[in-house]
Amino acid sequence: MEQPVQTETCKAHSLEELVRILHRIFSEDKISVEEVQALMESYESNPEEWLQYAKFDQYRYTRNLVDKGNGKFNLMILCWGEGHGSSIHDHTDSHCFMKILQGNLKETLFEWPEKKGNGEMTKKSERVLRENQCAYINDSIGLHRVENISHTETAVSLHLYSPPFDSCNTFDQRTGHKQKVKMTFYSQFGERTPC
Amino acid sequence: LPSGLSQWFPELEVLDVSGTGLAELGAELLALPRLHTLLAKNNRLGGPGSLPKGLGQAPLGRSLRVLNFSGNRFAELPPDLLGLRGLQSLSLGGNRLHDIPPDIQELRSLEFLYLGGNFITSIPPELANLPSLSYLVLCDNKIQSIPPQLAQLHSLRSLSLHNNLLTYLPREILNLVHLEELSLRGNPLVVRFVRDLTYNPPSLLELAGRTIKTRSVPYAHSDLPQNLVRYLSLASNCPNPKCGGVYFDSCVRQIKFVDFCGKYRLPLMHYLCSPECSSPCSSASQSSTSQSESDSEDEASVAARRMQKVLLG
Repeated sequence: MEQPVQTETCKAHSLEELVRILHRIFSEDKISVEEVQALMESYESNPEEWLQYAKFDQYRYTRNLVDKGNGKFNLMILCWGEGHGSSIHDHTDSHCFMKILQGNLKETLFEWPEKKGNGEMTKKSERVLRENQCAYINDSIGLHRVENISHTETAVSLHLYSPPFDSCNTFDQRTGHKQKVKMTFYSQFGERTPC
Repeated sequence: LPSGLSQWFPELEVLDVSGTGLAELGAELLALPRLHTLLAKNNRLGGPGSLPKGLGQAPLGRSLRVLNFSGNRFAELPPDLLGLRGLQSLSLGGNRLHDIPPDIQELRSLEFLYLGGNFITSIPPELANLPSLSYLVLCDNKIQSIPPQLAQLHSLRSLSLHNNLLTYLPREILNLVHLEELSLRGNPLVVRFVRDLTYNPPSLLELAGRTIKTRSVPYAHSDLPQNLVRYLSLASNCPNPKCGGVYFDSCVRQIKFVDFCGKYRLPLMHYLCSPECSSPCSSASQSSTSQSESDSEDEASVAARRMQKVLLG
């Protein structure tokens, strides 16, 4: 992604419109991270528009595919029960946008572990993302862990990954050791898809 | 709650009074025979009299399946709840609990128990007597150890232990064959091999007891004082399968690492009958591929491979 030729601040007034504008943006050769982030942030979360994708699992967070972006990106909704969190993971050389639709998510950034590392991974920073905020990360920025630290509220987030990927590495915080994992969808386009 | 509640809405099945500032739930609730879900998150419940008396015997007590009291001020698990034989899901996340009462085992139908975000320091072994428990959340507490009896929770699919004070896990945890999710991040888990060197030599009583057990010396209950009969019944088998020994009070604790996902090592607690008794697997040193391969015969590794999708955080 490179600097845009002209800056256009589009506002998405609905989830449908957001998807439409994303399709248009990603059909171009030049795409700007700032533009996508601003667009995602501009959409004011309306549960009526995404409730059909928000399928929760009792035991862990779920990934629910919303749109396949003509092969250019994956748009999905993640549902986090109380206390649910992810492992520390990378993003397989892709761009990752994460917008909060409901509740709050804590994002902890980590440095990449040393090549021969056998020690505790280094925390870079942490923050709590609020409703409608949109965060961005890619492998050159670092690794992160995302968690719903609330014991009383669930959380829902909207993720865009470009290019799409179905596997990534997870990391052991104590040792920096990594393991490749395959990622699966709990549902696609509103339909439950058990694997 | 309005006093006419059960008269106006006798068929009420779901009641959500979350975030209303309630400090107590009164007897109006008791006469709702169809109420299966009660959500009262983020209120001011927790003081004496927060819950109506006789909850277990009331029509409500038989119908309730789901109870959510997260985000309140309970300093102890309300004893009135323990009569809810049909309760399947209980959340007391984000309260002020300091412990879990052993009588929790009376909640025979419990499948889902959320106790994250409290001040719990230990877990009663009686928790393991809940036959249907499949989801147990104990994250964000002050727990220092897990009782080995927890391995009896055969239905357990997900165990959340992150952000506690655990330095090791009991080796029995490998017996939870249906466990799919296990979160351990944010615990001071021992990374390098540690051997507990403090060993109290066995007493004469213990040595005599060991001899009787290992040599199968016959005795009848009338031969010995009751306290000795009971003592002999408490013999534990040394976990080393090559050692046929037993121990009573005197044992060596040893932290042993078991590979879960190739290079990961989790500290597990072993009890051995003496420092000379070695663990089934030869000593674990720094992690290396060759070490993992030599562990492959180890029964612990077999059990570990069964635990496929273990989330180590």
